[in-house]
Amino acid sequence: MLRLLLIYIKLLSIQIRSQMQYRVSFLLEVISTALLNGMYFASLALVLERFGQIAGWKLGEIAFLAGMAETSFATMDMLFSGFDPDGFSPMVRLGRFDQILLRPINITLQVFGSRFIIRRLGRILEGVTILVISFALTDIQWTIGKMLYLPVVFISQVIAMGSLFVVGGTLIFWTVQPIEAVNIVTYGGTELMTYPMNIYPGWIQRFFTYVIPFVFMNFYPALYFLNKPDPLNFPSFAPFLSPFAALSMLLLAMVFWRFGINHYQSTGS
Amino acid sequence: MQFFWRLVSVSFRQETTYRTAMWAGLATNLFFGLLKAALITALYAGKGEVNALSFGGAITFVGLTQALIAFHRLFGSTDLMTTVYSGQVATDLLRPVGLYPFWMARELGRSLFNLMGRGILYMVFFRMFFPLQFPCSLLQWMTFMISVSLAWFVSFSWNFLVNLVSFWTTDGRGVARIAYTLSQFLSGFIMPLALLPDWFSRLCSWTPFPAIVNTPVEVYLGMHHGSELIWLLVLQVVWFLVLAGVGHLVLQAGLRRLVIQGG
Repeated sequence: MLRLLLIYIKLLSIQIRSQMQYRVSFLLEVISTALLNGMYFASLALVLERFGQIAGWKLGEIAFLAGMAETSFATMDMLFSGFDPDGFSPMVRLGRFDQILLRPINITLQVFGSRFIIRRLGRILEGVTILVISFALTDIQWTIGKMLYLPVVFISQVIAMGSLFVVGGTLIFWTVQPIEAVNIVTYGGTELMTYPMNIYPGWIQRFFTYVIPFVFMNFYPALYFLNKPDPLNFPSFAPFLSPFAALSMLLLAMVFWRFGINHYQSTGS
Repeated sequence: MQFFWRLVSVSFRQETTYRTAMWAGLATNLFFGLLKAALITALYAGKGEVNALSFGGAITFVGLTQALIAFHRLFGSTDLMTTVYSGQVATDLLRPVGLYPFWMARELGRSLFNLMGRGILYMVFFRMFFPLQFPCSLLQWMTFMISVSLAWFVSFSWNFLVNLVSFWTTDGRGVARIAYTLSQFLSGFIMPLALLPDWFSRLCSWTPFPAIVNTPVEVYLGMHHGSELIWLLVLQVVWFLVLAGVGHLVLQAGLRRLVIQGG
């Protein structure tokens, strides 16, 4: 296990060193990424200047949803980008996945360490900034429980979104080309998490509850942190389902990934 | 001119080969359209009208902007940039037509296909989930057609100008990313300008970007009449001429320092 961790760290450090070669360009990229992603939240904040609230959620409360979703998605995008269908597709198409199979190191670990984009730090920076704005605008009654649960929710979100990347990456074994529908659930799912769940039509809510349990990742934990009543009338333990939902998603994704590797046929290139 | 239309039709037919991509794009635009429409519904919360934009109008605004994404290439394009970095531009410069009309023809062909495939078809699908408003007179339809065509020219000349940055820097894509996010934000694509604070939309109106999205959609909804309407259309023409003029000058300057690497 320790050996695997050391290999992983080594794989990452190679990429970090190569990406840090152009320091000024790196810094500019981080800052511009932060500002660009921040523009979407800024436009929402501007609209709220006219409307005041969305379904009973004020700017600070929406900022909690947006800040959490942005921070976790960006962290996931950094850690799981080896599985990102857009990056994994050329890997399979060009036969680089065959090289991975030949090496005497765990396959999953190699894919994990194959792509690590530190430019994504910019979006993490943006997410954290929005979260700080949220803490400033709302008065969350912090308890020991809440303080301990916040990192759990964050990790759960990263795992849940990452599982979708793993599934999307696995599909590449059959399709070679990335499937656009996967983007709808990954990028679309993150966008969906930015707003309170009860604004969506019933079928979207049900899909993101029973098929992809994103509702337990951000919306329910947010109700708990912000002491808001539940408009969807779920049992009172719903805010605490996020780690369980995330782990089951990861488990299923990994089973599918194993299945995919066993059925992998090289493209021959 | 005949050559121009030949190019348009070739590019149109080229685009018809990517039908799977068309359906995929349509599905993605539809999902994001649904999310945004849900957001608008929650914001209005039963209000009939906000700052002269009716609730039905705002929903139509969302549908129409999503339908225009592919036609106007609102997320931007880096095709010309790619040819500068690959050296393909050298071949394109040898053609019996200038680089500006050459790219305009290619983009026009592609956009005309997307007008049907991702525009009109999109509105049909969007209509299944949300009620849409339609222009209520022939005159309103005609002014919309004029306005959306002018908007295409403004959008094209903006995208072309952004691509020209590749003549000066090897990191043109980074610049393009910033430029296109800015134009999406200020054009009213992310949110209708009528719903943003007055000081902000006034700020936007000093830029060419509302002429790409906000103007044609507001014309479609019949929010402007008489001399105000004519002024908006004239403004679109002015912005096209300004951007195309600047684009032309920058292109000449860029061509003078263009170095093609290798072969």
